[in-house]
Amino acid sequence: MIALRETRRPLTVEQINEKVAGYGGHRDDAWRRMFERDKADLRDLGVPLRTERLDRFDETLGYRIAPDDYDLHSVQLDPAELTALALAVQLTGLADDAAPALDKLAVDAGLAGEQRAVRRLPLALGLDAPNRTVLTEALTTRRRVSFVYRKVADDATTAARRRVAPHALLHHRGRWYLRGVDTDRRAERTFRLDRIEGSVKLLGEPGEVEIPDTPPDPRDVVPGAAGRPVDAVVLADEGSAWAVARRARGEGSPVEGREGWRRFVLQVRDGEELLGWLSEMGTGVELVAPPDLRARMVLHLKGVLAT
Amino acid sequence: MNPTLTRLRRILVMVPWLLEHPGAGVEEVAARFDVTVEDVLDDLDVLGYCGLPGYGGGDLIEASVSGGQVVVRMAEFFARPLALSMREGLSLLLAGRAARASGVLGEDLSDGPLSTAIAKLEDHLGAQAEVPVALDVEAGGADVLSQLWPAVRDRRLVHLVYRSSSKDETTSRAVEPWTLRSVGGAWYLQGFCRSAKAQRSFRLDRILQIEVGEERVTAPPEEEVGPPVYRPSPHDPRVVVEVAPRATWISDRVVLDDRAPAADGWTRLEFRAATLDWAVRLVMRLGEGARVVEPPDLARMVAERATAVLALYDHGTGPN
Repeated sequence: MIALRETRRPLTVEQINEKVAGYGGHRDDAWRRMFERDKADLRDLGVPLRTERLDRFDETLGYRIAPDDYDLHSVQLDPAELTALALAVQLTGLADDAAPALDKLAVDAGLAGEQRAVRRLPLALGLDAPNRTVLTEALTTRRRVSFVYRKVADDATTAARRRVAPHALLHHRGRWYLRGVDTDRRAERTFRLDRIEGSVKLLGEPGEVEIPDTPPDPRDVVPGAAGRPVDAVVLADEGSAWAVARRARGEGSPVEGREGWRRFVLQVRDGEELLGWLSEMGTGVELVAPPDLRARMVLHLKGVLAT
Repeated sequence: MNPTLTRLRRILVMVPWLLEHPGAGVEEVAARFDVTVEDVLDDLDVLGYCGLPGYGGGDLIEASVSGGQVVVRMAEFFARPLALSMREGLSLLLAGRAARASGVLGEDLSDGPLSTAIAKLEDHLGAQAEVPVALDVEAGGADVLSQLWPAVRDRRLVHLVYRSSSKDETTSRAVEPWTLRSVGGAWYLQGFCRSAKAQRSFRLDRILQIEVGEERVTAPPEEEVGPPVYRPSPHDPRVVVEVAPRATWISDRVVLDDRAPAADGWTRLEFRAATLDWAVRLVMRLGEGARVVEPPDLARMVAERATAVLALYDHGTGPN
């Protein structure tokens, strides 16, 4: 690594083989495998290994680490900022990827070790998900991806390989979603990360995907979260009022002629979800308006009896 | 990551600090980088074999410990920490943004140092920071969180009025709070319930009232607390339902024992429910998208409940 960093001209595989201790000048297959593994390891660590032509006149490829790529440019966090980020990493459960970044920034700020002095919080936001980082990488480098996706269909669950030009990663109500164009179906789709089997593969070359300027609002593209909000009027008895009040974000008002009942107005985006939720609550709630939703509620309940 | 790489990663953050702090005590180094003194000595040993090819006297890094003091020289090419990799930088940024959006760290921190730290990171990452990731970290029960969080942080006994989700009943409980977790879009309090004399999870959006007591309690280390999810037991009632295509999503909400195609393109699902009451609510939610196969008690309970609710709509006030 030191050799690659201190060279101005890229080093060829042969030069590295001769010069670097441990490779010992043997040019057999075993060495070549070792070299490839070391190369992958360095890239895993985030070492910015460049592959370049030796010079203008020589098309042979060589390797080099440009010091400007390697050196962390100063960020200069102050102690309070470092602590705040350390708390954020703990809270979100993203330590696998984020903790090494924090270690580097702590050294940069002259505060090595202080990021670990943060007391463990009994609080967890649980934001990590398999394949989240590789999809973030695909978005940043604007590359296409492919993965095996499990679809919960009518009669059985099917799994098929999908190829997608990613547009955005969305987090909504505890789940991660990928939004993008399914290039085989030529249509925009939303995929749940927890239904991706195995690992996501990067396809093609960086820069191939055109990403829309602003990511969509998760509520617009996540299934079940869609819809224009409407006002619904719900009456609730003493036992259920607290639960309805929480959605209504208000205390409600008394209902004339019904002792202990209160009247609430709720902003509803997903009518189907509201009907399901109210049906679960049983006889403690009554949906009053809008009339079409009330009619659907009656149909829903008759449906329960019909089956 | 293999141990050699872990070591290399550690050495690469340690060396810049050692160059800036010549003569640091070996114990201090171990403490700052969260390793044993032996690890530090081993790292320095490895470092002593590194240098520019040629590997002669003037080409090798000098790393030594004398009188408990660490000195590293000739390592100027490692004077700076390695740049943040894309995934490191973006994960850290995401953690910062999500923590701020959740609001759980309090305004002083979120609007102060957390915000300035995020701004510095965005500046540092440049175009990368514009990665299209949209976060909606809202989870059910977030409004109760601000009330409960100080009690959990200070380990104070809490008294809850709670509406159970498996039985339709409201109870008062004294709980020794351990952790708060957001799982699948809902916040949960986990702790020791003195009423049940066992570990319990409480969904925050089912808590009616909170009273924070004076009594201080102890909590086990976090590793011992499993996630707040339902684990089926063989004693729980076995339920078989058939669901319509549009209702197959519920297979994600239960731990399935079996799944098979049924007539009319429907799907037959078999699973255990914590209680029949819980299953009644699930079936009520699905409307005509579900039919109960087993047990007969469940079918009867569902029919009774639906009839009772319908009566409300027959005699109800209607639009007013």
